[in-house]
Amino acid sequence: MGFVMTMWNTAMHETPFMDECPQGPTPGNYELWEASISPEKRRSYPEVLGTQMRWLTFRGRKGEDVCEQPMSIQDPPLTIVEGKYSYGIDLDGNSDGTATPKSCAHRTFTGMNGEAGVDNQMYRLLGCIQAWRSTGHLETNANSQRRTGGLGMILVEITGVDDIRNDDDVKVTFYRGIGSFNLDSKNNVLPFGSYDIDIENGKPRYDDTVDGRISNGVLTTQPADVRLPLYGNYQYLNQLIRDMRLELNTTESEKPAKGMVYGYYAVEQFYDYVRGLLSNFPMRHKYSCPAIYVAAHELADGHPDPDTGKCTTLSSAFKFEAVRAFINHPSKVDAVNEAGRKTSLAANRP
Amino acid sequence: MTQPVAKLRFAFFVTVLMAAAMTLSACGPGEPKTSGAPPDVRRLTEEQYRNIIADVFGSAVVVSGRFDMPVRTEGLLAVGAREATVTAGGMRQFDETARALATQVLSEPLLNFLLPCALSNQMPFDEVCASSFIGQVGRLLFRRPLTDEEIGVRVAIARQASESLGRFEDGLHIALSNMLVDPQFLFVTERIEPDAKVPGQLLLESYSIASRLSFLLWNSGPDDALLAAAQAGVLHDKNGLEAQVERMLASPRLETGVRAFFGDMLKFSDFKFLEKDTEIYPVFGAAAVKDAREQTLRTIAYHVIDEDADYRDLFTTRKTFMTRALGQIYRVQVTAPNGVWVPFEFPADEFRGGIQSHLGFLALHSHPGRSSPTLRGKAIRNTLLCQEVPDPPPDVDFTGFNNPDSPSKTARQRLDAHSTSPACAGCHRITDPIGLALENFDGAGQFRTAENGEVIDVSGDLDGIAFNDASGFGPALRANPAINSCLVDRLYAYASGHKLGPKDAFVGYLEERFAADGYRVKSLFKRIATSEAFYAVSAVSPATSAAAAAAGQ
Repeated sequence: MGFVMTMWNTAMHETPFMDECPQGPTPGNYELWEASISPEKRRSYPEVLGTQMRWLTFRGRKGEDVCEQPMSIQDPPLTIVEGKYSYGIDLDGNSDGTATPKSCAHRTFTGMNGEAGVDNQMYRLLGCIQAWRSTGHLETNANSQRRTGGLGMILVEITGVDDIRNDDDVKVTFYRGIGSFNLDSKNNVLPFGSYDIDIENGKPRYDDTVDGRISNGVLTTQPADVRLPLYGNYQYLNQLIRDMRLELNTTESEKPAKGMVYGYYAVEQFYDYVRGLLSNFPMRHKYSCPAIYVAAHELADGHPDPDTGKCTTLSSAFKFEAVRAFINHPSKVDAVNEAGRKTSLAANRP
Repeated sequence: MTQPVAKLRFAFFVTVLMAAAMTLSACGPGEPKTSGAPPDVRRLTEEQYRNIIADVFGSAVVVSGRFDMPVRTEGLLAVGAREATVTAGGMRQFDETARALATQVLSEPLLNFLLPCALSNQMPFDEVCASSFIGQVGRLLFRRPLTDEEIGVRVAIARQASESLGRFEDGLHIALSNMLVDPQFLFVTERIEPDAKVPGQLLLESYSIASRLSFLLWNSGPDDALLAAAQAGVLHDKNGLEAQVERMLASPRLETGVRAFFGDMLKFSDFKFLEKDTEIYPVFGAAAVKDAREQTLRTIAYHVIDEDADYRDLFTTRKTFMTRALGQIYRVQVTAPNGVWVPFEFPADEFRGGIQSHLGFLALHSHPGRSSPTLRGKAIRNTLLCQEVPDPPPDVDFTGFNNPDSPSKTARQRLDAHSTSPACAGCHRITDPIGLALENFDGAGQFRTAENGEVIDVSGDLDGIAFNDASGFGPALRANPAINSCLVDRLYAYASGHKLGPKDAFVGYLEERFAADGYRVKSLFKRIATSEAFYAVSAVSPATSAAAAAAGQ
């Protein structure tokens, strides 16, 4: 059984009046830039592509790009989520948020269904930044780019399935797909398309396999480090999610199946993405790179560095959607014969 | 020693007997005489126009523009082409298309290839070169050699244009555009001549025989070899004709002819207007429409030409071809890259089998947002069994059928109303049971087992042969004798441009030969192409002579 992921979003609990962010949205590069220079000097910056946004981040002490060098200036601290509820699970097995051998002390959330000890420091970090919220276009844009470009296509293959509703022992493999999505006229990904695995030297470029089980039609996987190669906002995200757990409703075949991914996301890996966002990207004026950099390190709650004891990863939760798909393995792809109608029919039976 | 000799003699005797039996079987009864029809004048179909241009100038030349709507008569556009006219708007389109084609043809590198002289010798006007170009191209476009006078007129036009416009090829441009809008090109005009051997008898002229042959087998104009055979007069000779038919049947261009016939018979011109409600069937987009049409034609070509298989098996075969766009709707894995066709065989335990279970047929004969057992049943009766189903009366009340609050969940339940209404029952009894057999496929051709939560019952019977599911429908269709007689009728009408009457002895002869040939379509093409009936001409139409016969005159 195969799926292709069609949507990937940081799981955010957003209330209509932003109650989870009592201080309001975090100040962004634009506000900070505007406040740091005189109107005369501001006017002296030329417009690039009809805007001065190109210069918003060049406000380091020596004129450095503060996104490239986040320690070149000290911005006001990031506004972080103070709300009670969040998506996620208890990743470290410690519901009170005190430090454990594999986690640092942190504040926990209550889950959306009342579960205690939910770890989601990524949400705490990003939840008050307009760019990452559902109205902020950053993730919408990334999803749109993936869909139209076919880049960062994640294929999920479930093998060893005897019963699609209940099976205690299945294997789940994550591949990167290559090619384009099969879209309908409204740009929705259609189910039951055939997708090729991205191959390098005859082998899948990504093929992490984890154990899983299906219970009442919901697939869950055992914790394992998994590479999920996404793409978004003009960047390849070769993201590694540590201790990753996945949930997916496998019974849905006509509509997109909804799923969740939980795990730890490396701070440096995350900041690489922030750094790579184009300097004239319209959303960039709505956050402060230095403030994110500092807060991300402060909020990190997983995988303590053995030397320093400082945590290096952020507990996270992601929502995704996937549609049923056929996954073409290298051997089958190689077997394709385009020689015409005389080709053996038997060779191409599913 | 004597025993082996006796055995050998016996074996020889049996072999001779078998050979004789096979020869007799192959020959069968002699071809009955037919009165023939008056010579034809018919407009080229759009496909024929495109094929001729590609054959003469190469496939890189793009034919743009729209053509007048074709007319379908007796179930075929090929017959309707005899009634087709050219409207003022259509003539303008032909003119614009001709100019655009001439521009492409008279540009490098094509011109260097087509022109019999070097382009460096552009001016002064090279009359020999122009005459040669016009003569060669004109022969292929008009499907006969041009007379000296016809060439002379066009050379004069070319000269005048060249001198006015300053370039040799500009003159040829005008001359070529002129030929491409000439009725001699746009209309296939058959000519007759007196039969020198039988006084009072008329014969189809050699070049007209060549055209009939090439439009039947290749759906295009005659090639150089066929025109040469016509010029040599060998097409009036049985052996000469058969040699050309064999050559043409062996050509890869036969596929074009076979596709054209089946596309016409199955009314695939309607694919131009096929659209589905994307809210209901988001998967059925433009790519699916294009591929659905191609899938069935490709399957037919493979079955009929490559496999030379029994025509009846087209309605049960699970062998077909697949693309990713189609695989998405059939919900099967396709390993070939996008846009590439691969052979595919539906698993034996699935309900797909036969071209009537292809997306093309199912989607074409459905409504934009739902399936239609009536349209599908009517299509099978009309196109595959050649049985007339009248259009519904204009005052039919559809409110009960379309009522969204109806307690009827399935099409069968909704259509029950028709079978109990005397005004509707007559037709619906002959269409609906067939169409209901295909209800496991929705309006886009996707497989389903239930409609509105209710399990779909697809059992039924086709003219006395019962079936329980969609996979049983194909064999029932295959066993229906009308499927064979319909093909024979249609192919002869397609070839000759007129339908023979049911009592015409040649129809019975062809049906018998088709069966004796193992229902091989290629053989049927050959039978028709080499028959005397196909080329028979008379001064009166078959309809007139039939009416006269009926009146006892």
